[in-house]
Amino acid sequence: MVSRLSPTKLELTMDNESWACSSVEKDLTRVVTKLEQLHENASADIGDIATQMSELVEVLSRAEQLVTTLNSSTQVSQDDPMGDAGGVSMQVETEPTAPQRLTERQMESIRKAISRCNERVQKLSTEHRDLHGSISKIGKAIDRNFSADFTSTMRVDVLQDEENLMLLNKAIAKHYCRQGMDDVARTLIRECKMSPEHAQDVFDSEREFADIYGMWVKIQKRDLTDALKWAKMYSQQLSDRHSLIEFRLHRMRFMQLVSYGLDSQREAICYARLNFKKFAVRYEHEIANLMASFIYLPSGLENSPYKHFLGQEMWTELSFIFLKDACQLLGISKNSALSVVVNAGCTALPALLNIKQVMQSRQVLGMWNGCDELPIEIDLQPEFRFHSIFACPILRQQTSEDNPPKKLTCGHVISNDALHKLSVGHILKCPYCPVEQNAEEAVRIYF
Amino acid sequence: MSEIKALEHATLKVPYEMLNKRFRSAQKIIDREVDQVTNVSRQVEKALDAEEGPILAEVTKLVDNVAQKLQVLKRKAEESINDELSVTQICKRKLDHLKGITPPNSVTGDLWQGSVDQWKRIRLDRLVIEHLLRMGYYETAEELAAKSDVRHLTNLDIFQTSREVEDDLASHSTTKCVLWCIDNKSKLRKINSTIEFSLRVQEFIELVRQNQRFEAVKHSRRYFPAYEKTQLNEICHVMALLAYPADAQADHYRKYMDPQRWQKLVLDFRHENYRLFQLSSTSVFSAAVQAGLSALKTPHCYAQTCRNLNCPVCQEDLNRIALKLPYSHCVQSRLICRVTGLPLNEHNQPMMLPNGQIFGQMALPDITKDDGTVTCPVTNTKFSNPKVEKVFVM
Repeated sequence: MVSRLSPTKLELTMDNESWACSSVEKDLTRVVTKLEQLHENASADIGDIATQMSELVEVLSRAEQLVTTLNSSTQVSQDDPMGDAGGVSMQVETEPTAPQRLTERQMESIRKAISRCNERVQKLSTEHRDLHGSISKIGKAIDRNFSADFTSTMRVDVLQDEENLMLLNKAIAKHYCRQGMDDVARTLIRECKMSPEHAQDVFDSEREFADIYGMWVKIQKRDLTDALKWAKMYSQQLSDRHSLIEFRLHRMRFMQLVSYGLDSQREAICYARLNFKKFAVRYEHEIANLMASFIYLPSGLENSPYKHFLGQEMWTELSFIFLKDACQLLGISKNSALSVVVNAGCTALPALLNIKQVMQSRQVLGMWNGCDELPIEIDLQPEFRFHSIFACPILRQQTSEDNPPKKLTCGHVISNDALHKLSVGHILKCPYCPVEQNAEEAVRIYF
Repeated sequence: MSEIKALEHATLKVPYEMLNKRFRSAQKIIDREVDQVTNVSRQVEKALDAEEGPILAEVTKLVDNVAQKLQVLKRKAEESINDELSVTQICKRKLDHLKGITPPNSVTGDLWQGSVDQWKRIRLDRLVIEHLLRMGYYETAEELAAKSDVRHLTNLDIFQTSREVEDDLASHSTTKCVLWCIDNKSKLRKINSTIEFSLRVQEFIELVRQNQRFEAVKHSRRYFPAYEKTQLNEICHVMALLAYPADAQADHYRKYMDPQRWQKLVLDFRHENYRLFQLSSTSVFSAAVQAGLSALKTPHCYAQTCRNLNCPVCQEDLNRIALKLPYSHCVQSRLICRVTGLPLNEHNQPMMLPNGQIFGQMALPDITKDDGTVTCPVTNTKFSNPKVEKVFVM
């Protein structure tokens, strides 16, 4: 039932992800601009008023000195730096014994300066406080555009279990081991107190891949030495598996020698004699073909039918086949398990969240529980498909041990349950073609 | 919903919360300095208002005071605002990274695939680091962040603080955690956290343990009344400890005296720290691992004969983790040849051996010997010149 929810509906709820980012970014930029402005204002305004204050102090203390030293009435207004701001003209009375009192004008200008100062500092505080609105807008934009609740997609959390967590640590350690980051793996093993057996397993299982990985990198750099050595070592197993890689490696090495031109002609012939012998039966035609390349040596391979051997694509392809065959032979996987799982999970989570929301709004959430299958099909890339899954075209169900797929005599495949539902007595009419047959003759098949 | 929208909430929310916190502390600093300025300027005004007429020397001094306070205000305001700006930069860098999943239109094909792959690799590193931090494997996280150069995209900084607090708690000291509580007081109050109370209780217990009962009473007088409304029950229980002799074996006493309580405090603190930054209690990594395992899990992964080397769920460790997870759901058949790994379709017709095993047409040369013998790669049965039948899958 769940699967019948139309896919277009799900697509409609999808939003452009860059839009989500840019809407947060817009609010962020606004805050940054305001902060920068505020910073500038704080420096300029407060700095300005601070300088004015210091100048005022200077003028005042000069007035003080003037009075005490000259003991006469003086005008200092000509070098008053605050001329336009009211000016602090010091008309000081000559009364040396009594403490100096401020004149009205001095008081006036001090008052003015103080009130301006108060005004500016208050303004700074208010302006900074006003930023709060803009800042919380960022938070709201994040909440609006991004979903905080990805946990609701999990029915059970198997990673609460200590043992499973340790297995996950192991998978992480393996992942980094593969990429040659042994140090990281070792630190993790120490920190999570992994048992020595597990730890040993991490390095054992990935050592092989790390070697292969190294050779793979080298092939892409057109260095075949290590790969050839490896292929020689596993020659028998490779030919048992009908792997082409050993011959392909030799072929590439041979063509590499040929491509060096006339000087290495002798070496190329020796190489062919030495290495092509054991492939003579299986690749007779191909070897003949290769040897014919000597014809074009004088004019250069780049102008010959063999020129495709010179391109980087051949090397990329070779390295790819090498990685695939070598991993297959050693029984190890080409991608790190962890990266495959996490990337598949990152594809699955948004879809699961969507379906969850749809189910919630239609109040059929109960169906989420008590089912040992995910509620929807996750659209993974073909490279993430590792097993055949046969879904009965009649009942739209995955087949299982209890309900296996069966091949009818006409060649069409349906599930066992469907077969029983469709047959009348022993007679079954194929739902896809007009053949009538005995239901007993259908064969159990295995994908 | 796209991957970014579903999974990256925390990536942005954490730096936002940091910005918010920085903003509030900046406001506090600015307000404090502004108060200082207004205080001294009020003194100046008061001096000016004096009846006798203000004395020049005194006023000069006071005005000088104002000037100095203004300088302090200027410096502190600049510093605080710079702090805020630096946090916005963290936000910005993370946003830029997130936008990287949709490269500009001009790039196509392999280049695009390449950049997406690179992006996913960085994402995996980010997710793993977050998971490691949550598990408390700080060193590994640091090392990985340094090696793969993704430090600026992680939340290592907030976990760094929590690491210090956790280490402190683990060595039976509450100092750093109390400081952390004070630092985040308003926010903790908003999320109804009881972590500070738990700390005070633990301090009380330690005093009882050292038989400093008088000190313990003093401690309780000082800190417990604030929690009277919500925690009265617990307070009574804790106070009862005073009545037991130091070597009491009573369950009640032992329960509180258990050193394991410190371990629990560490976990409580970790949890509160997540709540503070609106981090969910499970990591994106663990959610992704479980969803991924489910999406890949098929009944084949648990059948001995059908395992696929490249399938992660078929690998021993992950296989065990996935045991209780739901299987993937499938309404449309997806067939893959077990020999070549290629999809079975009109270009690679599914063919049936006499034993019912299906392989792709393209795999037939691989399993056929020159004399016409076909070896079934699954069961290892040999057939000489068998009848290989085409099957049709709708």
